[in-house]
Amino acid sequence: MDPQNLAYALIQLAHNFGAVAVTGGALAALWPPARMQRRQIAWLVLSGWGTQAASGAGFGAVSYAGYGHLPDIHGIAIAALTVKLACALSGFTLAGAWLRSGGGWSAARQEAVWIALAALGATALSAAAFLRWFS
Amino acid sequence: MRKLFWIGLAAVTGVAPASFAAEGSVTITSPAEGAKLDAMAQNKIVYEVMPGARGDHVHLYVDGKEVAVLRALKGSRTLDTLAPGDRTLCIKVVNKAHTPIGVEKCVKVRVE
Repeated sequence: MDPQNLAYALIQLAHNFGAVAVTGGALAALWPPARMQRRQIAWLVLSGWGTQAASGAGFGAVSYAGYGHLPDIHGIAIAALTVKLACALSGFTLAGAWLRSGGGWSAARQEAVWIALAALGATALSAAAFLRWFS
Repeated sequence: MRKLFWIGLAAVTGVAPASFAAEGSVTITSPAEGAKLDAMAQNKIVYEVMPGARGDHVHLYVDGKEVAVLRALKGSRTLDTLAPGDRTLCIKVVNKAHTPIGVEKCVKVRVE
């Protein structure tokens, strides 16, 4: 077994669980019985987006440390990566804002934020497929 | 420094590295080094790759710009229209993360 592949696999593991946390967490928060747990779910989603960003950077870090190059992608893959970065930044910001002051927001506004978080997770997941196969 | 990185990674993970050497090879059968290509023709690059332990597939570059991902390790690829002038065509072996691993072959051609 090559340590390079192991390093990428461990980073991918974190990345995949981050994806589950941001998308599944936001969808769960929209489920009425889980509304009382939204604060805990918001922490999960926040840490999920943080994990997504850190592990995404980890792919580049392993490549750079090992070969002196970042992954070489172009075209649609660059666009997909840009979408993922935008989703991570927006998702982290929204989840953080919800934790900071979401408890005081109107029910409609809270609902809109969780729908937006779910949409950001789904968009990032979709972009990941294009990043994977167009690079 | 990079060798140290792989040694450190191997020590941390307890997994022996496949090799520190840049294994693998790339052969560009056509066009030949210094060949003259017709700018109006459909030009092809013909290649064969041994990816080595760390390589996975290859990327094609024209003047340093990546223009295609080639999954086949042996074959040909029609080049997009090349502007007249001196051009450098390169095929680089990359790993599963699309990072060039240092195994590559380039040919310089003149497009007229």
